[in-house]
Amino acid sequence: MGNLTTRLGRLANVALSGLFLATSGSLAEDAGNLYNTNFDINAGLRYFERQCSRCHGIDAKGNDETGAPDLTGRLTRASSEVGIFNIIRTGISGTAMLPVASDLPDAQVWQLVAYIGSLSTDPANIDLSGSVTNGANLFTNKGDCSSCHMIDGHGGRQGPDLSRVGERRSPEELLSDMLNPHADVAPRWWTIRVTDKNGLVREGLRMNEDSFSVRIIDDDANLWSYPKNQIASLERVEASTMPSYTQTLSDSEVDDLVAYLFSLRKEN
Amino acid sequence: MNRFPLLLTAIFLALPLQAQEDEFQTVITPAFSPVTWERLVNAEDEPENWMMYSGTLDSQRYSRLDQINTGNVTELEMKWSYQIPVIDRAETVPTVVDGIMFITEAPSNLTAVDARTGRVYWRYDHELPEDLRICCGRNNRGVAILGETLFMSTLDAHLVAIDARTGNVLWDVEVADYEAGYSKTAAPLIVKDKVVTGIAGGEFGIRGFIDAYDPVTGELEWRTYAIPGPGEPGNDSWSGDSWKTGGAATWITGSYDPDLNLIYWGTGNPGPDWNGDVRLGDNLYSDSALALNGDTGEIAWHFQFTPHDVHDYDSIQVPILADIEYQGSTRKVMMWANRNAFFYTIDRETGEFLEGEAYASQTWAQGLDPNGRPIRVPGMAPTYEGILVSPPIVGATNWYSPGYSQQTGLFYVTSFDGEQEFFKRDEDYEEGERFTGGGGRYNQPMDAFHSSIRAINPATAEIEWEFPIMPRSSAGITTTAGGIVFTGSADGYFFALDAASGEELWHISLGARVHAAPMTFAIDGQQFVTIASGNVVYTFGLKDN
Repeated sequence: MGNLTTRLGRLANVALSGLFLATSGSLAEDAGNLYNTNFDINAGLRYFERQCSRCHGIDAKGNDETGAPDLTGRLTRASSEVGIFNIIRTGISGTAMLPVASDLPDAQVWQLVAYIGSLSTDPANIDLSGSVTNGANLFTNKGDCSSCHMIDGHGGRQGPDLSRVGERRSPEELLSDMLNPHADVAPRWWTIRVTDKNGLVREGLRMNEDSFSVRIIDDDANLWSYPKNQIASLERVEASTMPSYTQTLSDSEVDDLVAYLFSLRKEN
Repeated sequence: MNRFPLLLTAIFLALPLQAQEDEFQTVITPAFSPVTWERLVNAEDEPENWMMYSGTLDSQRYSRLDQINTGNVTELEMKWSYQIPVIDRAETVPTVVDGIMFITEAPSNLTAVDARTGRVYWRYDHELPEDLRICCGRNNRGVAILGETLFMSTLDAHLVAIDARTGNVLWDVEVADYEAGYSKTAAPLIVKDKVVTGIAGGEFGIRGFIDAYDPVTGELEWRTYAIPGPGEPGNDSWSGDSWKTGGAATWITGSYDPDLNLIYWGTGNPGPDWNGDVRLGDNLYSDSALALNGDTGEIAWHFQFTPHDVHDYDSIQVPILADIEYQGSTRKVMMWANRNAFFYTIDRETGEFLEGEAYASQTWAQGLDPNGRPIRVPGMAPTYEGILVSPPIVGATNWYSPGYSQQTGLFYVTSFDGEQEFFKRDEDYEEGERFTGGGGRYNQPMDAFHSSIRAINPATAEIEWEFPIMPRSSAGITTTAGGIVFTGSADGYFFALDAASGEELWHISLGARVHAAPMTFAIDGQQFVTIASGNVVYTFGLKDN
């Protein structure tokens, strides 16, 4: 316990010197989370719902309005439990992320770290039946995914870049994305159909829309920007342009693609 | 090299004093003169100044300035911008007195600038403790002024009096204990010889109140709790001891009617927000409008918009007072578009409900009864599993100021048609910790919902027009005798609509979220309009010819 106190004392010191140090590998080796039982995760959940959910959402999936990030995937500000601990302890200066109360015991901060850790899946613990090699092959050939999606700079522009999709989507979500692409379409991938005052219609993916204007990318990757007060009409199609692969790929081929996509991470 | 300045000095000394002053008047702002209570009562008559948060005591945010009007608003150009040095969200409505602008900044700072150029006279940095208890961001929304003293709320729940000429602190009093979850963000309101101010902390199980302070000494003159204590009427609307931690914060600025000598102030949600099981009853006076005696703070009447609220539908809106034609006679009314999605017109002498209709999407009430009390849809309270309800937690509107135009007789509000899943949780109260009992989750992206500026006829509660915007906005509204509604949007626009028709007249992309309300003023006959966007305060005027 004395050893732990020393470690935590050291942590508090380095926390002040910023995240560069806090997220460095050597520190992660310095102190692990001793509060990571199911009991601790539940205690962390209770604390999270009470203190953190107002900004990060009760499901920890973030909130665009408050600017609070999604905590259920890869975290951009911390790459280790120590990094998460330090952010909770000291906040992030210049943002709405405030430190927790200074008298909150370290044990409770670690419980919160354990809860946040429980929200994302360690890919090493997931054993998928599909073949990554086959999936990569399907992606560019039979599945023809690369005509719309880029990976590491190669591929089309009509769908999300998938270079690191494994960091933000679980295998279940990837499966659902392929079989039921219309279920959960982010506004970036809606289609906008603009009719100008001469009756000319132009259609494209919704890159951005605001109160007074809209910007789209058409099939030929041309970028168009329209002031809303200078067009005749604007139609929004809140569906995906991606086909469902239920009919075109076998179950095992879909599994291969899921395995491949889930393997796409920064480390690769 | 040294001779030249000496020579200049010699010339100035040689000129008669009056001649020097005349020369200076062409380059400096008008002399700042003390703001008396009479000036505040008649603020409408000096539209070149914006002397309080909502412009005038009736909070209409209507300016008689008409130099910028529907015919020439397209000629607006930026005159200056002021970059707030602390990076955070600007929710400030600047105050302008005689050419000097006072800008509050996050977290609890204040700057005086030349309103013609945006250049700084002085700056006050309020020292804050590191362990603040705040629910929703480090904001400050504005100051009040009386005489030559500015009054500002701070996040550590203090009220500070600052010399308007120098920025020196005259006094600094603790209104409540920040460690128990109290904080302050709203501009105070001057009522005669007192500084009236509310409190925030409704997510921390506080007990809300409205205070009045002596402007010279900072002494507390009276305190009226928004939750009645034992033995007082309304205390029995809380089960057990729940009144002690019942919230009902008072975190936005109210209004005042000098003829009736009544202060009007909104109150926030009961606590815990989403778990009503631990506070059975109507929970008076949460989610209410309170009318208080201007001298004693005694409650003259109350109107509760959402009895036993379980959705966080704060009645934290600025009450707008006007005399309107209603069913054949002139009535002194208070207009209120509530976070709960209903618009109300209320007799402000008596608190009698006159009109009320939903002005935005809502699923929690079947409507209002003849007394304005909501008729609830059964089974819409938050559950452990989650239940979809409209409006969402952020509400159909919120704290951001609505406006009223004396030209059109219309009430304008930034509105949101959204829905959210509401969850209930069991929580025990601990001092200084959050006490909310649940939370919410959107099931659709924000862009899937509809937002708009809506114009409502207060005599009928009907919507006259709407102008769609996106996404959900938290900008306030200002109207002018130029026939304009000025407002902003979350996607970073500042824009002008025709107050009569809702037609778009002008817009400019400022590139960052507008969380504030515009205000307008004039110097030497030139009208300006100011808005905070992101971290910057922008001022516009017509192009110079």
